[in-house]
Amino acid sequence: MLWALALTGVAVSAAAVALAYASDGLVDPGIRSALLVWVVLPYVLAGLVAWWRRPESRFGPLMVAVGFTIFLSGLQFSNAPLAYTFGMVFDILPSVLFLHVCLAFPGGRLELPEERWLVGAGYFAAVVLQIVKMLLGAGGPDNLIAIVTEPAVANTVEDVQLLSLAAICLAGIPLLLSPRRARTRPLPPWARLLVDSFALGLVSIALLFVAGSFGWESFQTIQRIAYIVIGLSPVAFAIGLLSARLARANLGDLLVELHADPTPEELPGLFARALRDPTLELAYWLPEFETWADLEGNPVELPDADSGRATTLIERDGTRLAALVHTGSLTDERELLDAVSAAAGIALENGRLHADLRARLLELRGSRQRVVEAGQEERKRLERNLHDGAQQRLVALSLDLRMLEKRLGDDPEARALVDQARSEIAMSLDELRDIARGLHPAVLTGYGLGVALESLVARAPLPVTLTVTVDGRLDEPVEVAAYYVVSESLANIGKHAQASTATVTAVRSDDELVVEIVDDGVGGADTEGGSGLRGLADRVEALDGRLRVWTPRGGGTRVRAELPCA
Amino acid sequence: MRVAIAEDSVLLREGLARLLEDADFDVVGSSADADDLLLKVRSYVPDVAIVAIRLPPTHTDEGLRAALEIREQHPGVAVLVLSQYVEVGLALELLADSAEGVGYLLKDRIGDVDDFLGAVRRVAGGGSAVDPKIVSALIGRQRDDDPLASLTAREREVLELMATGSSNQGIADALVITLRSAEKYVSSIFGKLGLPSTGSESRRVLAVLTFLRT
Repeated sequence: MLWALALTGVAVSAAAVALAYASDGLVDPGIRSALLVWVVLPYVLAGLVAWWRRPESRFGPLMVAVGFTIFLSGLQFSNAPLAYTFGMVFDILPSVLFLHVCLAFPGGRLELPEERWLVGAGYFAAVVLQIVKMLLGAGGPDNLIAIVTEPAVANTVEDVQLLSLAAICLAGIPLLLSPRRARTRPLPPWARLLVDSFALGLVSIALLFVAGSFGWESFQTIQRIAYIVIGLSPVAFAIGLLSARLARANLGDLLVELHADPTPEELPGLFARALRDPTLELAYWLPEFETWADLEGNPVELPDADSGRATTLIERDGTRLAALVHTGSLTDERELLDAVSAAAGIALENGRLHADLRARLLELRGSRQRVVEAGQEERKRLERNLHDGAQQRLVALSLDLRMLEKRLGDDPEARALVDQARSEIAMSLDELRDIARGLHPAVLTGYGLGVALESLVARAPLPVTLTVTVDGRLDEPVEVAAYYVVSESLANIGKHAQASTATVTAVRSDDELVVEIVDDGVGGADTEGGSGLRGLADRVEALDGRLRVWTPRGGGTRVRAELPCA
Repeated sequence: MRVAIAEDSVLLREGLARLLEDADFDVVGSSADADDLLLKVRSYVPDVAIVAIRLPPTHTDEGLRAALEIREQHPGVAVLVLSQYVEVGLALELLADSAEGVGYLLKDRIGDVDDFLGAVRRVAGGGSAVDPKIVSALIGRQRDDDPLASLTAREREVLELMATGSSNQGIADALVITLRSAEKYVSSIFGKLGLPSTGSESRRVLAVLTFLRT
């Protein structure tokens, strides 16, 4: 069918040439026929290619229609009145079809209501007014459908027809170039040249109609220029298709690169090159989380349809695997996207596993953080309860005992008992204080790391040089973790290190708090077996930080915690 | 002597008020939170405000902030801060500028009624009171080339008493020595530690604490 149409196109081009040479009233038949062929043939052929590439789109048939109607309009060169009349009827139609092609690019449909109105008005002027004009006798004696001969009225109708069509073509230009159009129908990158040629064609048609209406002497020159310009669009289309084919050559490179086992990090770059879209992103589907995620496992949202970005889902064996997020214009290159998607299956599978692993790590880290924080909250609550409850009561009790003692008089035995009770209370208070402090360093909540470390160092069992360079407060989990790192390390030093001095530094940089505890003891600390160090590492890592311990035998111990803080 | 109290435990607040009234103090205000205390200090201008560090609503540092505010806005009102914990950092913060009319005691001290009342009187009179546990934490703090090592055992005792805010007479009474021997110990300590001798006891406290801190 397409081949038949192609042959017909060639045939009618030849017919046009023959017609032009056979015509009586035509000057320069060579130029005329060459111009006709220049327009008819490329439209038919380019339209057929477009048709073949995308059978579901109306764009190809529309282009073919432009080619054939131009040929039909060329029939007016004929000496036979019937053919002449036929050609006259189609005289104006190709220009409106051209407008239709322009505005229907690239999908083949008029998407916006204003486009439909404009093209509809164009068809009305090109068909209905043309027939009215001819019924009124326009076109001379060979016009077979003339009912009356009213040249003045026919001229008026023609003026209205041509000027309104000129206006319609000009009005089509802003629609063609409007940003709104670009949003609803993003253009493939190769199509810029084509759109420019469309705009140029519309201008020259409008000019042609104005010249025809006012009977300018230069009409013939303008007409020839218009033909040449209109013939440019299929050429631009062909160039565009060629460059799209080049893109397919990149696919070969992609296959080679995929064969070399790229890391998941390299994948988006490979796709971006193959699809020539530097903004391309890759999202993986994580079925267990029911979410899209980037390679690092962070959830991502796929873009909406009207964001100008488009999404191509990639499946493998019927299950959703990944999504390419790319510029909307790539959507038009479905075959290329499909080919890339098909080629990348295994590499994407690896990427998905990577993303899945990272997502699980993130979740684990989050849950560890929640566990540590919940524990901390609970300890804080217990400390509060001790402080407001038992400790206060004991202090009050000791006060009461004092009052009682005053009323006892001089019974030495009773006094001794009260004294003993009071010293028991004092000891209980000391013990409670230690327990409460172990639960949660209240001073930290109120006054921050500097003050809390000062108290801590003051109680240390060896001389400690403390340097705190922290302006302002940090997040409580960070302060608490830093506090425990220092407190646990100092306790370990006291128990095991046999050190004579230690230094504690806490330095905050832009995004990190670094706490370091260094002693000059025997080193060789046990970093695994149930020591407090494991618990410290949990606390630090729950905050996405890092705890490192250097403890060479005989070389002292250095504990360093790096805690991220925004 | 007029006293205002801020303590959120009713039991303790009432006990404290009774204790002070029995000792002929005039308790002009008794508050459960810091805002109420500030109001009462403004209205009654007591000689001394006794403030627990942790007060509602957040139970973190409302009391200490109120104490610092009283110091700033009512310099004539002495402040005695009560804490459940030995927090050297906090004590040093409270005493950062001046130890005049300032005290920081553990709540446990209330039970040692005579010492406690003595501390209240001392602070109200412009002196200082630093809890012995704070002082011993500071003195016990380990140092390289410990300058305290040059002190005799007796001198250490005197130093501790000095740091808690005791006057020379107080030191003499506590150690059961004569006022003159107490004075002799004090000047010997100042000489050994290289501290400039000062007249005022509260400035002496600050000098000793600053020395012990480093």
